[in-house]
Amino acid sequence: MILTAAPILLVDVAGSILMIVFSFLCIGHVMKLKRGNPTNLIWTYLLWVCTALAAFAVSRSIGHILKQALLVSGHRQAWSGIAAYSGSVNTFMLTIVAAITLFFERIWNIYGGIMKDQQALRETHDKLVYVNQNLERLVEKRTEALARSEKQMAQADRLASIGQLSAGIAHEINNPLGIILGYTQLLMRGEEKENQRYDDLKTIEKHVRNCKAIVEDLLNFARSSKTKKEMIHIPETVDEILDFIRQHSKLGDVAIDHDYDAEMPSILADEKKIKQVLINLVMNARHAVGTDGTISVMTRYDVGEDQIAITVADTGYGIEEKNLSRIFDPFFTTKSTGEGTGLGLSVSYGIIKNHGGDIDVESAPGQGSRFTIRLPAATREKKRT
Amino acid sequence: MDRLIRHRWIARGAWRSGSAFAVVPAAFLICPAVAAATQGHGGREGLYVHQLSHVFFCISMGILIYWLRTRNLTREPGWRYIGIGAMLFCLWSADAFIVHLLEEQTAIIDVQRIDNWRIRLEAVDGWGWVRPFYYLAKLDHLFCVPALIFFYMGLRRLMSDAAVSGETAS
Ligand SMILES: Nc1ncnc2c1ncn2[C@@H]1O[C@H](COP(=O)(O)OP(=O)(O)OP(=O)(O)O)[C@@H](O)[C@H]1O
Ligand SMILES: [Mg+2]
Repeated sequence: MILTAAPILLVDVAGSILMIVFSFLCIGHVMKLKRGNPTNLIWTYLLWVCTALAAFAVSRSIGHILKQALLVSGHRQAWSGIAAYSGSVNTFMLTIVAAITLFFERIWNIYGGIMKDQQALRETHDKLVYVNQNLERLVEKRTEALARSEKQMAQADRLASIGQLSAGIAHEINNPLGIILGYTQLLMRGEEKENQRYDDLKTIEKHVRNCKAIVEDLLNFARSSKTKKEMIHIPETVDEILDFIRQHSKLGDVAIDHDYDAEMPSILADEKKIKQVLINLVMNARHAVGTDGTISVMTRYDVGEDQIAITVADTGYGIEEKNLSRIFDPFFTTKSTGEGTGLGLSVSYGIIKNHGGDIDVESAPGQGSRFTIRLPAATREKKRT
Repeated sequence: MDRLIRHRWIARGAWRSGSAFAVVPAAFLICPAVAAATQGHGGREGLYVHQLSHVFFCISMGILIYWLRTRNLTREPGWRYIGIGAMLFCLWSADAFIVHLLEEQTAIIDVQRIDNWRIRLEAVDGWGWVRPFYYLAKLDHLFCVPALIFFYMGLRRLMSDAAVSGETAS
């Protein structure tokens, strides 16, 4: 079978030239890629592959072209001398290309690892830079928070010792007061109602009762009075005392708003005492707003902390900075004698502490005040039992 | 007949001695005259090494394709082109392997140059049908040149993708 050799010859020579051209074009591209990102291992790997491919293409193509040229020009002998070298180099380069190609997965994995480390490093670096830049601010913030909590602790400490003192006094006075009241009432029984002596005894009785009320308050503040805890629903309690206040005090232009969280759990508390606290807070607010202003009562439930918050805010005259740390002290008052005893907030403080809760205040002169009570919700206790 | 140029050379001695497996290819570098011929890979050793390198090349390109696929890289056009290039290289290697097999290893086909523009293809009895197939297979550049072009296109695409992602800060 005799066939034309032209196609083979043509494809051989043209193909060989194209092989060289494209393999070098490949190298050129990879070089550009590598220049763009010299640390990218994948580009380095592709450069190896392309270089090996180019070496292979050159060795093979030169062999092929040389062979065709020498054979066509009749230099068969010369080709015989070169063929073996050309062939072996060719085999060798082919093996090298194949071997380098096999490294692909390794290289890819290593590259992935490097990228991950790089990412982690960058993130850490960013964090460090952030902390570095904001260190002063962060330290300032923490210092402020520390100072605040130190102040609170000092106040709690002071109130605790005042509480102990007043509990001692209240206890000692409570018994004689009881005896005075008892004898006064005994004497009153033997007197005619229209009698002057009867009126005098009545006055003694009234004042002894006032004293007893104060002592009672002191005992409440000292947390030594007994509590009767039951499940109560705070919004209902708030409604009741708001009704009570609307009926029993002239509000004038003072508006009372309320805003209750839809999901308020019941809490375990002494209803009478909680009412006492709320009345104290609302009456203080009422006094602060004067004739025109707004008092708002809000309740919130914090699921994360499992506690409820009751806020009584007003638009009244506010509290001076220097008084802020003293308003919970027993007998601290800015009101004139007869208008206030200065026991309202101390009693409230004692009651809330007794319920395992907290009470705090935010206020600025002329900008109103905001008292917030936090009480543990009973939901967790219920779950436990 | 004497006008015929022997296109193919077979080291008859090595054929018969059967010592092919014991001699390293380096031996052919030392005495190329013995192995000297056309583009064949003189001696059985050289031929076997060459054939093995084709098999190895084919396998490693296959493995590259496999990895590109399992890593889902073939979804990116750049790597897809490189995968296609690897596939064509694989085919090329198989093609070259077959040509060497027919022509040199088994001598089923005998090629003789009549002159510069004509060749005579002879096949051993019963293998006549292989001749056209061999003739086509001899055009192996039709595989390896496109393979390289696909590699080239893949790299170009990788480069433009890298430029888009802002990697090449040129
Ligand atoms: N809502 C408020 N706005 C402004 N100042 C307030 C408010 N609540 C309390 N204060 C300040 O805190 C002080 C202490 O309050 P506290 O309720 O303990 O006593 P009081 O109201 O003076 O007397 P009372 O024993 O009759 O309640 C008040 O005298 C007032 O100066
Ligand atoms: Mg008060």
